[in-house]
Amino acid sequence: MSNPVKNFPRHIEAIWTGLKYLVKPNRMTVYYPEYFVVPPEGYRGLIRYYPDKCIQCGLCAMVCPAGAMKMYVKKGEKKGRPGVNYQRCIFCGFCVDICPQDALEMTKIHDVAFEKFEDLVFPPEKMALEPVSPALKMGAKKVKPVFDEERGLRHESA
Amino acid sequence: MDIIGFIVKLFLSPQVFAPIVFPGLLTALVVLLIIIWAERKIAARIQMRVGPLYVTRHLGGVLQMLADGTRYMFQEFIVPETADRIPFIVAPILALTLAILPFAFIPSAPGFSPISSPLTLPAVLAVISAIPISVLLMGWASNNKFSIQGAVREAFMSLGYEVPLFISAISMSILYGTMSLEEMVTKQFIPGLILNPIAAFTFLVSMIMSAGKLPFDIVEGEQEIVAGPYVEYTGIIFGIGMGLAYLKLYALSLIYTIIFLSGWEPLPKLLYDIYPGIAGIFLFVKAFLLMLFIVFLRSVYGRYRLDQALKIGWRIYFVMSIVSLILSLGVRVILNV
Amino acid sequence: MLSMSSEFVSSRLLFKEGDESTYELFIGPQHPSSGHMRFIVRLKGDIIVSVDPDIGYVHRTMEKLAEGREVIKAIPLLERLTIIDSHNATVALVTALERLLDAEPPPRALYLRTLLSEINRIASHLYGMGIAGIMLNHSTMFMWAFGDREVWIQLAEELTGARLTHTYSIPGGVRRDLPQGFKEKFEKAARYMEKRLQEYMKIFLLNPQIASRYEGVGILKKSEAQRLGIVGPNLRASGVKYDARLADDYGAYKELEFEVPVREEGDCMARMLVRVEEIKQSLSIIRQVLEKMPSGPIFAEKYLRLLPPKTREQVLKTGHVKFPGLFASLKLPAGEAVARAEMGHGEIFYHIVSDGSTKPYRLRVVTPSFRNVILFRYLPPGHRFMDFPAIYGSLDYFPPEADR
Repeated sequence: MSNPVKNFPRHIEAIWTGLKYLVKPNRMTVYYPEYFVVPPEGYRGLIRYYPDKCIQCGLCAMVCPAGAMKMYVKKGEKKGRPGVNYQRCIFCGFCVDICPQDALEMTKIHDVAFEKFEDLVFPPEKMALEPVSPALKMGAKKVKPVFDEERGLRHESA
Repeated sequence: MDIIGFIVKLFLSPQVFAPIVFPGLLTALVVLLIIIWAERKIAARIQMRVGPLYVTRHLGGVLQMLADGTRYMFQEFIVPETADRIPFIVAPILALTLAILPFAFIPSAPGFSPISSPLTLPAVLAVISAIPISVLLMGWASNNKFSIQGAVREAFMSLGYEVPLFISAISMSILYGTMSLEEMVTKQFIPGLILNPIAAFTFLVSMIMSAGKLPFDIVEGEQEIVAGPYVEYTGIIFGIGMGLAYLKLYALSLIYTIIFLSGWEPLPKLLYDIYPGIAGIFLFVKAFLLMLFIVFLRSVYGRYRLDQALKIGWRIYFVMSIVSLILSLGVRVILNV
Repeated sequence: MLSMSSEFVSSRLLFKEGDESTYELFIGPQHPSSGHMRFIVRLKGDIIVSVDPDIGYVHRTMEKLAEGREVIKAIPLLERLTIIDSHNATVALVTALERLLDAEPPPRALYLRTLLSEINRIASHLYGMGIAGIMLNHSTMFMWAFGDREVWIQLAEELTGARLTHTYSIPGGVRRDLPQGFKEKFEKAARYMEKRLQEYMKIFLLNPQIASRYEGVGILKKSEAQRLGIVGPNLRASGVKYDARLADDYGAYKELEFEVPVREEGDCMARMLVRVEEIKQSLSIIRQVLEKMPSGPIFAEKYLRLLPPKTREQVLKTGHVKFPGLFASLKLPAGEAVARAEMGHGEIFYHIVSDGSTKPYRLRVVTPSFRNVILFRYLPPGHRFMDFPAIYGSLDYFPPEADR
């Protein structure tokens, strides 16, 4: 109870700050899944595989920290082609960075959901397809975040 | 014919209409629904987010609390084995009854009070001050260390706010010269807020302490004692426990409006001629706006410590209520009201 | 205090029989505000007599896991120590590895590491302030801190490609270069942050109700802080000027000018004010970094020359570094190395021992929260029970970091 007289204007200032934002709110939230926030360039999302560039060196499986990349060896192949297990993948991007032929690429899709446990393991054929986000498939509008001095982060349509 | 006429006359009499329909039980339940939604929406506007939205999308999620209440209805009501069975079940029902009882005394239009007596103000304050006893019973019957802590805190808090609440209300009755809520409205040629602002401020803060709203929500302190006395309750009883504070707040803001904000003035003559019971519309609107302001304070303040809240109650607001008593004596002498 | 008596070990959980006046509360892991740990609080009436912190609920055996993997895989592993400022947790590991491998990162890489470290420090302090707010049931401070943190996480996402798990530093340099338009985005974010810091003061720290909960509560004396080995803003709020950014040579801090805020009171309010000051200092550091950033490569020449020339050109053009194939089985020369860094919570310390193979022999990490946990035993006794969340919130303790 330091000083009620000195404290009273500070109470009023705190209440006034609250009232200011009541009248003019600055919302930052996005109504996903009606709107989809497009990540910036270089975002580390799901991995896409280009089989024609791959030289089957196996470096991606050697460097993967979580043991998510495994080589699928078919009859007659030396080291096989990579497949990814998304239960283990931590989206670090080491495999993409170490591939000498740029056969792996990280896309901007990050919000895929799987219904069965077996769907989480992608063999090389499935990894070669472009991943599809369920929100975009159902017609979500794309927005991108824009830095703003007054509101911090604003979302505009992309 | 005779019996139906008799039932309709019974229903429309002030003794039944005011406590049950307006501004009594049914209106209180509707207000409970809307004020909790309003609290969440106001807090969300300040806090950079949206709040409840999806239940009735076009209306902004107004019926969210109805959805929550329906979910509570379907939950199983568990009585723990170590709890004291009879008080465990009886205590929240007792609390709800005591919280609804004040509506038996609050008038909504001139000549329309349920119990016309010259002593309605002390009666209603006495009923409101009996609610902490049921909360103590809830905490004791739960046989849980956290709920006993919460019950003890409720006992401490009720000691902190009762005296300033009573003294500032009594000082207003000295000013007006009457203790009946109905006559207090007729005696306010200017609102009581201007006649005695110190009593208005003290009553407001004591009201916030009594209803357990921030910055004084010490009884349900989630960060230390989980939910306090309500921690062992499940299902609809938990919903009742959470709604109890809002019912108390509603009753007290009706009293505040009657004493300080000149009640139901200006009276709409048209509605009064049709049926006096629904003429208290401005009383309800003023009380609701006051509740919205108190609920807004939740976004600005944190929680006081228990001994700090007691210090505030006794050192600052008790002294201010004595000052307001002297002030109202002075105003009474000067104005010879 | 385990005491071995006859066949079984009676732990400290049981208090003495017959001590009826002491009231024991288990603020256990199943509690809305205990974090990932348990406290055994003993009360006499309303005054706390003793607090026993019980840690270890989030023990993930990170040090042992690092022994079974190649050393480049330890970087994403140890980043998950404190995910809220992950770069500060890994930059010390990478500095230790560089000392062992004898790979010197180029100056531009050091500046970029400093940039991300400071962005993470701001995000970590905002997290700490949010948790301190919700401990006092001030939900507005909580939501504002986490909402404003979103701005800084978006900046980090532009720079590294991931919101929280950056994995940005590698032995030899960093992985990505500065994107276009970063400086303007940062300026807007910095001006927004300065405005918001004033509003935090008005609604939270200068709010008389919050000030009455924080002033004079949980006073940590200077001698006590030095005796117990406390680190971070908790130490600087008690009057000791120690900052690992000045004590050890990592990043570009030797060439930048910044102040280390120190306060004398040592109570909860001083700790919160030190954090607010550090956010302002971080903003000024980032401004200097963006102005003085030297040009050049971002990856050490020692590893860049192992790449074929076409890939080397691609690295210099796009700004995305490609690892040489050596990284999949990087051999650590035999020896030891130590390094330390300043995280938002305090100083983190790494000690790596290698015996010449690709996997480290021993990787020891001492985290700041592990050193601060002793404060739970020494600060609360003597205070009232409701001061306990206030002290907890102001210490900025992060259980997963303490348990590793």
